[in-house]
Amino acid sequence: MTSVASSRAVRAKKKPLLQRMGKYWGFYLMFIPVLVFVAVFHYAPMFGIRYAFYSWKVIGDPKWVGLANFEKLFKQSQFSVAFTNTIVFSVVKLLLNTGLAVVISLFLNEMVSLKFKKLSQTVIYLPHFMSWVVTASVFSLLLSPSDSGLVNQVLLKLGVIKESVYYLADKNHWRTWYYIINIWRETGWQTIIFMATLTGIDPGIYEAAAIDGAGRWKKMWYVTLPALGNTIITVLILNLAKIMNLFESVFVLQNDSVKRATNVLQTYVYYQTFNAGASADYGYTTAVGLFRSLVGLALMLICNFASKKVRGRGIV
Amino acid sequence: MKKLVALMLAFALCMSMAAISASAEETFKITIFVDGTIPDQNNGRDQFEARWEELHPGFDLEIIQPDHSAYYDVMQQRMSNKADWPDVLILSSTYYVDYASNGALWDMTEAWENSQTKNSGRFNGDSVFEGLKLDGRLYGFAPTRGNGCVTYVKKAWMDACGITEAPTTYDAYIAMLKAFVEKYGTYAVAAAGFVGNEAPFINYLPEFYQDAYPFFIQQEDGTWVDGFTLDSMKAALQRLQDAVKDGLIDKETLTNKTSDARNKFYDDKFGVFTYWAGTWATNLKTNLEANGRDGELIALKPLEGLPKYYDRVPPVWCITSTCKDPQKVFDAFIDTMLDGGDTQMLFTYGPENIYWSTAAGTVLDQTYEEGQFHMLENLEKAGALYTKYHIDPMLALASFADGYYDPREESVRPEAKAAAELFNENSRLAGLVPGTPELSELNGELTTLKGEIIADIALGNISVEEGYARFESDGGLENSNIIVESLNALN
Repeated sequence: MTSVASSRAVRAKKKPLLQRMGKYWGFYLMFIPVLVFVAVFHYAPMFGIRYAFYSWKVIGDPKWVGLANFEKLFKQSQFSVAFTNTIVFSVVKLLLNTGLAVVISLFLNEMVSLKFKKLSQTVIYLPHFMSWVVTASVFSLLLSPSDSGLVNQVLLKLGVIKESVYYLADKNHWRTWYYIINIWRETGWQTIIFMATLTGIDPGIYEAAAIDGAGRWKKMWYVTLPALGNTIITVLILNLAKIMNLFESVFVLQNDSVKRATNVLQTYVYYQTFNAGASADYGYTTAVGLFRSLVGLALMLICNFASKKVRGRGIV
Repeated sequence: MKKLVALMLAFALCMSMAAISASAEETFKITIFVDGTIPDQNNGRDQFEARWEELHPGFDLEIIQPDHSAYYDVMQQRMSNKADWPDVLILSSTYYVDYASNGALWDMTEAWENSQTKNSGRFNGDSVFEGLKLDGRLYGFAPTRGNGCVTYVKKAWMDACGITEAPTTYDAYIAMLKAFVEKYGTYAVAAAGFVGNEAPFINYLPEFYQDAYPFFIQQEDGTWVDGFTLDSMKAALQRLQDAVKDGLIDKETLTNKTSDARNKFYDDKFGVFTYWAGTWATNLKTNLEANGRDGELIALKPLEGLPKYYDRVPPVWCITSTCKDPQKVFDAFIDTMLDGGDTQMLFTYGPENIYWSTAAGTVLDQTYEEGQFHMLENLEKAGALYTKYHIDPMLALASFADGYYDPREESVRPEAKAAAELFNENSRLAGLVPGTPELSELNGELTTLKGEIIADIALGNISVEEGYARFESDGGLENSNIIVESLNALN
C-alpha cells in the first residue's frame, strides 16, 4: 500500500509536457532544422504517391484510373525482368561484398607491419570515393575488346582466350563483370566496420588462446571469426533493407545490347520516362516507384523482425 | 509654416506614388522560362535583359532560368500548376507536340502569317516552319535550324591512300573505308551508338542507314508506319552488320559515348566521322591540330541516290495558353527576335562589351583597331572567345536587314561556315510524331527492344531474320502495330 501511494505521489509530481519541453527548449530549438528538413524532403513528397492511382502527363488534369497502373505494371514483360534483376543483383552483390569484406578484414587483422596494413587499407578504400560514372569509364577501357583493353590482352597472352571478348556487350559476361566491379569498388569500404569490431576484441582472449596452444589459424577460426559473427549479421540485415535502391551502378554500365536483360526497377522507370517518345505517364511510373517502395518496406520489416530475433533489438 | 511644409511633403509623396503606380501600369511584363541556350547570369544575362528592355520600352522582361541539365524536370514541375505558367518558354520537339496537343500553347498561326519576320523578305526557313506545324497549325517559333550532322573525312588519310576525290557514291565510300582499314590497320568509322536515343536517331551513321528510319514516320499519303518494320531498315541493318564484320566500323560503337568517339578521332584511331555541322567543324580541326594531327577535314555531300542529311527539329519558343495578351507578347518578343536589326544582333551576338566590341584593343593576343568588330574572351573560359549568344549565326533563319552590319564574316571561321552551308543546302527536317496514350505507354519498352535488336545484328550476334523474329516473339511487332493504329486514328 505504501509503495502504491508513493508511486501515485511521484506521478502527481510529473510536470505538463509543455513545461517539460520548456525546460529543454534549447535542444528542441536545435532539433527544428532537422524536423523541417525531414518534413520537407522526406514526408511532403509522399503526397505525390496519389498519382500512382491517376493517369497524368503533367499538362491537363490527372485522370483517376484506380488500380489500372498496377494491373498494367504486372502485364509488362520488362517489369518482371526488372523486378527479378533488382532482387538477384542486390542479394548476390550483398553476399559477395560482405563475404569478401570479412575475408579481407581477417587478412588485414593478421598483418604484422602497421605501415603496410595502413597502406593496404587506404588502397582498398579508395575506389569507394570514385563516382560510378568514372568507374564505368575506367572499366570500359580495361574491358575493351580492342588492343588497348588490358583484360583481353592479358587473357590472350596467357592463352585463356583465343580472341578478344566484348565483355560489356555480352549478357552473360556483363553480369559477372557487374559483380566484380561492385566488389572492387565497395568491398574495401565495407571492411571498415569489420576492422572496427576486430580492434575491439580483448587481446587477453588471444593470449589465453596462445597459452592453450592455439596457432594463428586457430586463433582466427576460434576467436576472431566468432567475435565478428554478430557484426556480420548486423551488416547483412542493415543492407538487406536497402536492396531495392539499385540504379546508378547498373545504369552506367548498360548499353543497347544488354539493356533488356539487365534492367532493374529504377532503370526501367528511367527508360519508361525518357524513351517514351512523348511525355511519359507519370501515374504509371509513380505506380512502379510505389510498388518498389512497398517491397522495400516489407523487406525492412522482415529484417527488423530478424534483427530482433538475432540481436535482441530491432533496426528501427 | 510647419503644417504647410508637412502638407506639401504629403502632397509630393502622393504624387510620386501616383507616378510610380502609373509607370507600373504602363510597363508590360513578359515572363520567359529558358534553358541554358540563353547564357546565364555569369555570362551576361543581366546585360542582355537590360539591353532588350532598352530596345523595347514599356516592357519588363523577367527571365526564369533553371539549371540547363534540370530544365525539363523543373519545367514539368512548373507546368503542373497552371498558375505558375510563364508567358513564354523554350520547348524541345517532344514537349512541343505534347503541350500543343493538350492545349497548353497559344496557336500562333495567324500571328506568324501576318508577322514582320515572315513578310520581311529576309526569312529563309519556310520548310522548317512547315515541319513545325501540327494539323496545319503553328504553336512555336524557331529562330534557327535544329542543325544536324555531316560526314567529315580526314584529308591526310585520303592523301595517304592516294584518294584524290571525295567519294560521291556508296560504292566509292565503302572502297575508301576499305582503303583506310588496309592502310592504317584500324577501323575507318566510329560513332556513339549504333542508333541514337532521340530523333533523328540515325544521324551518326547516315551512309549505312540511308533511307531507313527506326521510328514512326508519316508516309506521303498521310498514313503512319513504323520505319523499323520496313524493308529499308532490314537492308540498313545488313549493311551495318557487314561493315562491322569487315572491320570498317568500330564494334565499340555500341559502348562509345560521344566523347569517346571524338577522342578516338582526335587520336587518329579512325578517319571518317559523322558529327555536327557548323561550329563543330572548327572544334574537330583545332582538337586534331592540338593532338599534333593534320586538321584538314573534307565535309561530304550526301552520297548519290541517298537522302539528304537529317536536320533535327529545332527547339522552339512558345507562348502559353494562359498568357494574358499573347498577340502583344508575340509582337514584342517573338517577332523581333529576327528583326534584322538591333534585337537580332542582341540575340545572335549578345550584349556589347560583354560578348563583342568594336573598340580598339587586344583580345587573346589579337589586336583590333577602333571600329573593328571582334568577339571578346569568354568570362568563364579563359583563353576562349565567345562565338554566339542564343542564335547561331550559321543557323539563323533570317539574314540581317539590308544596310545593317552583319559581323558574321569576322566571327565565323571558314571551315565552320563551309560545313554549315553544305549542311543547310543538303538537309531535310526530321518529322514530328504526335503524342498518343499508346505511344507514351508502349514506346519505352519498344525502343529498348529495337535498340537491342539493332545492336545484336550489328555485332553479328544474330542475323537480320533472327532479329525480326525476336521483334515479333517479344511483343515488339504487336506494340508497334498498336502505336501505328493510334497514330492513324488521329488522321
